[in-house]
Amino acid sequence: MADLVTTIKQTLKDVELVLGWVRDPATGVAAPARFHTEEEAEAAVFDSTCVHNLAVHLPRLKGRRLGIVAKGCDARSVVELIIEHEAEREDLKVIGVGCGSILDVKKIWRRFGYGVEIDDRGDSLELGGERGPREDFLARKCHGCLEADPDIYDLFVGESAGGPAGEISGGREEPHPLSAMLEDLAPAERRAFWREQFSRCIRCYACREVCPMCFCRDICIMQTQVPHWAGGEVNARESEMIQHIRVSHLAGRCTGCGECERACPVGIPLMLLMDEQNRAIEDMFGYRAGDSLRARPPMQTFSIEKDLWGDEE
Amino acid sequence: MRIGVFICECGTNIAATVMTQKVADAALALRDVYHSESIQYTCSDPGQRTVMAAVQKHNLDRVVIAACSPRMHETTFRRTVAKAGVNPFMMEMVNIREHCSWIHDDTDEATEKAIDLMAMGVAKVREEVPLFTSKVPVTSEVLVIGGGVAGIQAALDIADAGIPVTLVEREPTLGGNMARLDKTFPTLDCSSCILTPRMVEVKHNQDIRLIVNAEVEAVRGYIGNFEADIRKKATCVDEEKCTGCYICVEKCPSKAPDEFNAGVGESKAISIPLPQAVPLVASLRKEHCRRYIKGKCGVCEKVCPADAIDYEQEDRIFTDKFGAIVVATGYELFDWKTAYPNLGGGHYPDVITAMQYERMLSASGPTEGHIRRPSDGAEPRNIVFISCVGSRDESIGRPFCCNVGCMYLAKQAILTKEHIPDSQSYIFYMDMRAVGKDYEQFYRRAQRDAGAIYLRGRVGKIYPLDGKLMVMGADTLSGQQLEVAADLVVLATGFTASDGAAELAQRLNIPYDQFDFLSESHPKLRPVETTTGGIFLAGTCQGPKDIPDTVAQASAAAAKVIGLVSRDEMETSPMVAEVNHMRCIGCWKCIEVCPYKAIEKQKLRDGRQVAIIIESLCQGCGICNVACPPSVVSLRGYTDNQLISEVVEVLR
Repeated sequence: MADLVTTIKQTLKDVELVLGWVRDPATGVAAPARFHTEEEAEAAVFDSTCVHNLAVHLPRLKGRRLGIVAKGCDARSVVELIIEHEAEREDLKVIGVGCGSILDVKKIWRRFGYGVEIDDRGDSLELGGERGPREDFLARKCHGCLEADPDIYDLFVGESAGGPAGEISGGREEPHPLSAMLEDLAPAERRAFWREQFSRCIRCYACREVCPMCFCRDICIMQTQVPHWAGGEVNARESEMIQHIRVSHLAGRCTGCGECERACPVGIPLMLLMDEQNRAIEDMFGYRAGDSLRARPPMQTFSIEKDLWGDEE
Repeated sequence: MRIGVFICECGTNIAATVMTQKVADAALALRDVYHSESIQYTCSDPGQRTVMAAVQKHNLDRVVIAACSPRMHETTFRRTVAKAGVNPFMMEMVNIREHCSWIHDDTDEATEKAIDLMAMGVAKVREEVPLFTSKVPVTSEVLVIGGGVAGIQAALDIADAGIPVTLVEREPTLGGNMARLDKTFPTLDCSSCILTPRMVEVKHNQDIRLIVNAEVEAVRGYIGNFEADIRKKATCVDEEKCTGCYICVEKCPSKAPDEFNAGVGESKAISIPLPQAVPLVASLRKEHCRRYIKGKCGVCEKVCPADAIDYEQEDRIFTDKFGAIVVATGYELFDWKTAYPNLGGGHYPDVITAMQYERMLSASGPTEGHIRRPSDGAEPRNIVFISCVGSRDESIGRPFCCNVGCMYLAKQAILTKEHIPDSQSYIFYMDMRAVGKDYEQFYRRAQRDAGAIYLRGRVGKIYPLDGKLMVMGADTLSGQQLEVAADLVVLATGFTASDGAAELAQRLNIPYDQFDFLSESHPKLRPVETTTGGIFLAGTCQGPKDIPDTVAQASAAAAKVIGLVSRDEMETSPMVAEVNHMRCIGCWKCIEVCPYKAIEKQKLRDGRQVAIIIESLCQGCGICNVACPPSVVSLRGYTDNQLISEVVEVLR
């Protein structure tokens, strides 16, 4: 990681701090970190356990000169945040990293035990001495990866993937593993499915806190009395309501980074909802959040459609 | 909290389908409702007195009136409750007529629905808070955009009320399309004779500032307080010095197309569009001028006795404040050539437009009132007129009627007979539309006195044969195919919005339709208003119309403007958006979506930047409310909680 450390050190000459990863000595996997000094930057790493989307910190650090280490998917969030004025391109040094897909650490731990040693060989995995096919333990979002290289960066570290992460999906967005199952259900059964899912929700708001685009944070109408869109009780009905709010607030803004689903402590498949909506937005408006700095998000545009005015009698 | 509910029977309009007493009974069962009753005509004087009496007797502080659309009587009932001492915005109207009785047959079901609607109104009024109107000062000066007959009429009417007007015209002279016409239907009075005195009046009216060769470049502000940038284009002629002596025009060596005469004849690079031009000054078009094309000339400067030529002249920009704006940008004629290859597509010189024919008929036109075939200058005998070229034609995406074609062809047939007594006019038409005062008689006159032959059918094709134009068409009345050998073919081309109408509408923030005609706020009840307060429409920019309608609409717009700017201050609606500054996260989504530019950033003393609403600019459309992620922008009178209460009530 000499290359990454050097790049962060170099970037630190120009910015106040750099967002990146260090290795957590307890578990051996990556954890997010902020580097303020060259000394701190020595600990920087990038490997296939760097799952976190660090763009989530940008709105909170608005107005300060920052560096951020970003994978392709993270960079999409950076783009969307710049479009929505939550980050200034001029204040930002994006250190792009070549990503060869990342791992679902939780899944590995569930199978092989917490803190199991992960030896990623690139084409295969060695987990606590056992060899396993790497594909089985990939993070869900890598299966739907569109572009592993960041679209925007000032400096680039590592090898360019030149396409989707690890050439897994062949550049096509893969549907959520549960979506086929859900599609076969009748409306009432689907409803029952979601009721069951949301009955587990404990309203920890982790989905919101970890989402780069949910930058209202605690000024959120999931929790207010005025307006009183959702009640305060913890039950499936209210949780479903607040998730409806979150999903519709992310219409045309969600970059599909998958952090909400990853962070959910009770395993609600939230990306199933987001994927469905993202597809609908793309079909309707030809817009995918995070594609381009010059794009105008469809839900944040006011334009008079001539045809709408023409029909008036 | 004491709510009163009043159910209007609207005679039998509501009572025939909705059991109003049942709705009133249901209301009494609702929380906080202390009085309810069914009233035969709530909007009538006795009806309003009943409401007022009940408010006082039962000490009500909120009122729900279930009746017609709030567009009808909201103002009425606001006034009613205000008279009884209740804040007018604590009155909620529920529409059980248009939304219920008129559209349902089943009495039981309609009554049940009316009860639901009423209950939603009660749920909403519970969350109501008193609102108060505020006042903003009004600038008295008025901007009129467009100097055709509509703009002239509006400007004169407004100036007559002693209100200063700035009239901006894009062309070098006032007059617009009407100045190009020879005679006008149905009276056959000479267009110039009735228009030019009005043009001169504009020039001499002390309250009107006329700016020709100018366009409105930008508009900021809001009703009562607009600010506009007006660009006056350089014409190389000092308007103060030019006397309109025509010497430069005579001596100018550069030929140029003659737009005023619809391309009949030629003009010069430096020109005066018509002898009655107001102001009577020359203007130079650089794109046709030898000095600017070839780099050498200067004849006009040499011959000008007034020393008015100034090649160094530059565009100037005026910025001024206005209280109201009248848009009167007029129309242009549909360019038919590409759409109708079957009519020759412009390849036959003797197929001309009615406007070109109009310029030939005009004594001050390029042919001095003589009708001449463009191909050989001969006087035509058989003249075929074709209606609806670019009008009422779905196949080219122009389904609307031009409103004037039928009548101006009748006029031209009558004038043709006067000019050439042994001529014969044929008029192909789809349907005869003669709906104005005296129009039917006028059309009969074309048939009877001028002997015009009316053929009901579309023309299929025109082709040349032995120096004539063969016009093939169907006579749908006799069911026969026919062919007419014509010396001259005149096309009644339809109206299109004037060039740049949509761009101007965007600058003014007013809506326009799919054909770029500007949209009125309501076709019947607000026909000269736009959806943006303080901006009014006059004439054909709003849609095709004839001169009487145009002038009437211009005067109507003037009346509205006078009513607005003759006040020193105006009340603004309190039902506008407001921002909870404590919770604004400064994401500016509201600013991006606001169609009225009514939201700005403001720095608070603690350094945070938040959105603020400019209340006089806000039209209360609520888009910001929807766009705001944490819903800290709310619309007064329609807060999220009010709407949630309504939904909760109906789901209960």
